Amino acid sequence: MAQQRISTRRRSIMLTAAAAGAAALTQPLSVLAQGADEIVIGGSIPMTGVFAFAGVGINAGIQDYVKIVNDAGGIKGRKVKYVPEDTGYKVDVSVAAFKKITSQNKVNLYYGDSTGFAKTINPELDRNGSILMAGASFATELNDPKKYPHQFLVGPDYTEMFGILLNHIAKEKPGAKVAFVYSDSEFGRDPIDSSEALAKKLGLSVPVKIMTPAGSVDVSTEVIKLRRAAPDYTIFHGYILAPIPEFITQGKQQGMQSKWMGTFWTMDSSTVMKMGPDGEGFMGVMPYRYYYDTEKAPMLEKIRAMRPEYQSTAYTQGFLAAMLFLESAKRTLEANKPLTGDNLKSALNSIKDFDTGGLIGVPITISGNSIPVGRVYRADMKAQKMVAASDWIKL
Amino acid sequence: MRIGTFKETYVADAALFDSRTQHVWLGIAAVLLVAFPFVASDYWLYLACLIAINVASSTGLNILTGYTGLVSLGQAAFMGLGAYTVAILQARWGTPLLLNLLAGGFVAMVGGMVVGIPSLRVKGLYLAIVTIAASFIAHFLFANFSITGGTTGLSMQPGQLFGAVLDTSFRLYWLIVPVTVLMLLGAANLFRTRIGRAFIAIRDRDISAEVLGIPLLQYKLLSFGLSSFYAGVAGGLWAYFFRVVTPESFPLSLSIFFLAAIIVGGMGSILGGVLGAVFMTLVPEVLKLIVDLLPGGTNLTVFLSPVRLVIFGALIIGFLVFEPLGLAEMWRRTRRFFHLWPFRN
Repeated sequence: MAQQRISTRRRSIMLTAAAAGAAALTQPLSVLAQGADEIVIGGSIPMTGVFAFAGVGINAGIQDYVKIVNDAGGIKGRKVKYVPEDTGYKVDVSVAAFKKITSQNKVNLYYGDSTGFAKTINPELDRNGSILMAGASFATELNDPKKYPHQFLVGPDYTEMFGILLNHIAKEKPGAKVAFVYSDSEFGRDPIDSSEALAKKLGLSVPVKIMTPAGSVDVSTEVIKLRRAAPDYTIFHGYILAPIPEFITQGKQQGMQSKWMGTFWTMDSSTVMKMGPDGEGFMGVMPYRYYYDTEKAPMLEKIRAMRPEYQSTAYTQGFLAAMLFLESAKRTLEANKPLTGDNLKSALNSIKDFDTGGLIGVPITISGNSIPVGRVYRADMKAQKMVAASDWIKL
Repeated sequence: MRIGTFKETYVADAALFDSRTQHVWLGIAAVLLVAFPFVASDYWLYLACLIAINVASSTGLNILTGYTGLVSLGQAAFMGLGAYTVAILQARWGTPLLLNLLAGGFVAMVGGMVVGIPSLRVKGLYLAIVTIAASFIAHFLFANFSITGGTTGLSMQPGQLFGAVLDTSFRLYWLIVPVTVLMLLGAANLFRTRIGRAFIAIRDRDISAEVLGIPLLQYKLLSFGLSSFYAGVAGGLWAYFFRVVTPESFPLSLSIFFLAAIIVGGMGSILGGVLGAVFMTLVPEVLKLIVDLLPGGTNLTVFLSPVRLVIFGALIIGFLVFEPLGLAEMWRRTRRFFHLWPFRN
């Protein structure tokens, strides 16, 4: 008797599990649960893995802006829903997250985590036709509205970042010698050739280009090569931190007078401060204001009120991405158009002299796939802050 | 109740599937595989295709490592060779899909055989290092030649099969899963042939195998070639699936993934390769589903994401400690239970 009861219970458990499995396979439940008028932002966010340091900030940034908008009544009365998934910064996991989120929600806007993902998912975006996507990548290749009609970059692409730095250098020291040090990766090699051409156009020379493995530690031979070239400026690209401090420390020990520079992913305040005393004066390009900037920025004040502790530049990037997403949605709805990929993108491209609330120090215009504006900041190790070293530079 | 099988001929004894029960279950499995795309969401279809690609590659590695006893950490590099071959043929010459897949397999096969040459002299960890070197060389080749698109890689148009454009997971499923099933059948049959038995003999004791008249280099190279062919075809399927191939698409960690898959699944068993690939692909996703079901929203996702990785790692360790013969052995024990029930349980 007892045996029979157990087997009945087992059978019912198995049936329940089978039903749950079938429901999970087809997964229409959450689509039904979604409000008809909701605007959905999906996100492949790297909350674990090598890029987690940025992913956690990006996630918080998107989340906070969505909260601000929803607290203010949403977009034209529509609430905004944000659905993130962790990707571990792996393309296949990212695509799985995209498929999962889009099959459970009617997604209008999507945040992707890498260049690889942006490239891989692009045919799907074109086929799907209902999503506008931005992401953590600043790859030059993505800055092509013809090839990537439903995507945009939340800042300048890597070549434009170099452009901002080189323009600053050409103004500060005409005819200067600029060395490029970059990692042997798609990220590292991205802007090198085009930037060398631009340097020459600006009257600068590039005496040496050094490629190292990403995150390498022993760079002594490369430093010797760099010292021989005696550049006035050295731009690092394709790294987060290592081996930049090693280059600077050894370079200074060998009497190099170069000014050291970096691009976006190196330039978060917490990253630069890890360089220690040798990082004093380290410069680089930043498309956004830092969390602690004192110039007038109502949106930064709002962020500081929401989160009293320091927020990374990745946070600002996520926050601004959500702001531009929802501005595009707002403009599309105001024009009484459906939220399709094409409509959202043309709404984005209608953005002219847009005030970001001070996240970017000048009004922005998005005519293509990027926001080609930035500023050179410099590390002040005593104050443990990044301070402005130039005005905002628009390309 | 089924307590044994009675065979009257050698053919029956050597049959690939030896009992009626097995035939019935395989029939059910085939029906399920055919029905699956019609009921599954896009997400599950995507995962099914990804699992099938991983199964194909793991099975290839299982032929080499599980059956021939040669360690390899170059499986991802061979997949890359296949993927690049397919992408180049598709993007530049637009040759037919099946021809591209075969070409991908053969290019990887040649690459695998070249890498396999030192296998006569070195074994174990030494061979593992040789194959790691192969993956670095492959990465260098992918990143530095214009035909491969350099670091940017290659993007390709969707493949076409019998006039159908394979641009959705649903359509790709009908390419990827049948190809994988064919490859699985091929691998299972291989070990009923002279070649397969020679591989097993080499694995068990290579010197004895040589004494028995098995030419070691020839068979070791053949094993490398076959394994790489599987990887190459899997890489080709991968290229059609993702439609972007870059040098960073096939990192060393992917080779470790396949090695882990056959260890967790059960080395030297076709079913082991399948179960291992399914486990390694699906468990992180299932853990994600569990996290999603917990109340707490996105904040919980942030908090539990690293915990998920720890659980995944712990599961792998747990399997290896409590069932070193892998998931295939667990499956065998389950089958045995039902064979002997109710006499012994």
